Amino acid sequence: MQEDTVKIKKFDQKEWIKENISYHKDSGNWAWIYHRISGLALIGYLFLHVYSLSTLTAGREAFETKMKAFTTPFFMALEWILFIFVLFHSLNGIRIVLVDWADGARYHKTLYRVSWIAGIVLFLVMGYVMFSHEILKLFGK
Amino acid sequence: MYRYQSSKNSGATSWVLQRISGIVLVVLMIGHYILMHYHPDSGHTYDAVLGRMQFSWYRILDLVFLTLGMYHGLNGIWGIFRDYKLKPWLKISVLSSLVILGIAFVAWGYNIIFSIPYLKNITLN
Repeated sequence: MQEDTVKIKKFDQKEWIKENISYHKDSGNWAWIYHRISGLALIGYLFLHVYSLSTLTAGREAFETKMKAFTTPFFMALEWILFIFVLFHSLNGIRIVLVDWADGARYHKTLYRVSWIAGIVLFLVMGYVMFSHEILKLFGK
Repeated sequence: MYRYQSSKNSGATSWVLQRISGIVLVVLMIGHYILMHYHPDSGHTYDAVLGRMQFSWYRILDLVFLTLGMYHGLNGIWGIFRDYKLKPWLKISVLSSLVILGIAFVAWGYNIIFSIPYLKNITLN
């Protein structure tokens, strides 16, 4: 066999992206996509978090005026939405560790469903914890 | 033949560290959420932060949390970039910007934590 007839398939970035987008998506594939999106959102939030706490260096008043803005219902709703990303990323992260280091590969689809259910429950619990104080405050307690 | 000599680093160490830091972060995150949201004042008033920061263990905990979070996040971004087979010049630019960004923000965070004063007289109630 002549050597120059052997063709090595070259890596084509566009083809790679196309293949991945058109790939049949199962729970694992969706988990992979959501994990990346939530991870990017969380690292973006970490930068914002350092920035938003930077007024701690300026003392009490600067910090409290900034915190007053962050405790408005609008920002609290944003915080609650942030919790979706935190929840997905941590629950799916636990799932990934179980698949890698335990027997998780055998039941990773069940784990995915269970983590969704647990996530929704925890999300609602968090909503109660966060907003119950605010609602009580509205009624003057 | 290969045009570029690729890195000998397989990424196995960062893979393991990503999982270990992830597990630690999940535990720390639970504590963080309870601390910040069990009562709205505990996370959002200067007095609460000042009171917490009188205990050096809280400062150390925050420093660890910030460092691990930043490492885990930027390592994750780097992992995403690694999937796309970047050209060497792009690779080194992305990696160095991530490292610089990480060091800058961690240093900023450390500066914030260390700038909170220790009070001379503490009364616990």
